[in-house]
Amino acid sequence: MNRSLWTALLGLPALTSAAAPAQAVDYLDLDQAQRAVVPGASSFAAFAVTLTPDQLKQIKAIAHVPQRATKPRVWKAMAGGRQTGWVIVDEVIGKHEMITYATGIAMDGHVLGVEIMSYRESKGDQVRNPKWRGLFRGKTVRDAFKLNQDIPNISGATLSCRNLTDGVKRLLALHQVALAKA
Amino acid sequence: MPTRCRPLLGTFVEITVAPEAASAIDAAFGAIARVQALMSFHAADSDLARIRVAQPGECIEIAPETCEVLRIASELHRASNGLFDVTVGRELVRGGFLPRPARGPFRGPFGWPFRGERGATMADIELLEGNRVRCTRPVLIDLGGIAKGYAVDQAIAALRAAGACEGLVNAGGDMRLFGPRRWPVGLRDADGRVRTTIELADCAIASSANLGNRHRRWGRRVTPHIGFGRKPILCKERVSVIAPRCVIADAMTKIAMADRALAGRLLAPHGGQVLAD
Repeated sequence: MNRSLWTALLGLPALTSAAAPAQAVDYLDLDQAQRAVVPGASSFAAFAVTLTPDQLKQIKAIAHVPQRATKPRVWKAMAGGRQTGWVIVDEVIGKHEMITYATGIAMDGHVLGVEIMSYRESKGDQVRNPKWRGLFRGKTVRDAFKLNQDIPNISGATLSCRNLTDGVKRLLALHQVALAKA
Repeated sequence: MPTRCRPLLGTFVEITVAPEAASAIDAAFGAIARVQALMSFHAADSDLARIRVAQPGECIEIAPETCEVLRIASELHRASNGLFDVTVGRELVRGGFLPRPARGPFRGPFGWPFRGERGATMADIELLEGNRVRCTRPVLIDLGGIAKGYAVDQAIAALRAAGACEGLVNAGGDMRLFGPRRWPVGLRDADGRVRTTIELADCAIASSANLGNRHRRWGRRVTPHIGFGRKPILCKERVSVIAPRCVIADAMTKIAMADRALAGRLLAPHGGQVLAD
């Protein structure tokens, strides 16, 4: 094996790891997401909940997908001193990486809104494409770059949001099991 | 520019507008949600479900939006000599790409659920005055090949109506952009890589590929794209179509997958084109 190939092989993991975290697209921060999924709420109060093994089993039975986190990130949405709904921030796996999303649930258990907060999807294999690496170079998750300014929008075969739809069903089951009577 | 993303139409829909028009995003998502509610194959109360449960020959009143999509689909059906057909629901259910409809007045032998009549085509759907539709034979309509593009157009119209002077709507790869800006658009090939980036202004683009979405049925490979003779199209390459409206770009990718030359001929008078990788 010649020397240039070795250099290329050694360089590959470094390039991949440098580019991977920069692929996050942050749409909304927590405050914006909370307001977007429960419109009209004036404040959000963190609500600590720890799911028991029995509750995890019940959620799986209702939603047909397992709830893995025992301490979900839950907020009470308040307006005029009254609770108007719940906000749950959760993660599901996309095609390769995680998607963080917020779901607003009304007091009667229907979905008020779902917004994607951040999408760390690789949107393909562009890490190995030098043009793409150039776009990501020097950027970190903290850089407030938006998809359309720095990174092209992608047209390709449709990505399915099935995992996210299943995630929302799981959160509705979580609401029914652990929050509705809280 | 603020960008928001919601799960709609079975995919991730991104909407971008200038900061001063950020409040228009909600109206645009609302327009997409309406198209989803009317034209979903899965929902039990969509226009499609109502057409599905009607008796052959019965007139059904549907929303003007659904009627418009069916009218465009019907024109494309005629222009493409029957290649573009929204009655492929039967093939998609058989291939496992769509669930079997839960209800329907028609029962197959041994009480099997209805999956559309063999040989029925778009020509068996009559579009009547006053947003009414009549199917002369039992057909299973799926608008998966056209409604996403239409939803993008509706969202763009909502952004414009709310006063936005530039914006972009991307429904899982079918997108439309407007305003003075030139937007960079990456084209994701069938293998998932982005090798080409182009710049577009004030137009729509849609792409299709099915390398990653195939099933095996009775030892044969099936895809969600149905071509001549109702045979699945096996298309290894990405096909992208640029057109003034996203509904045309979306539908034309299905024609282009089977016959690029035909798609090119149909698009040319409208200022559209087919890009192949």
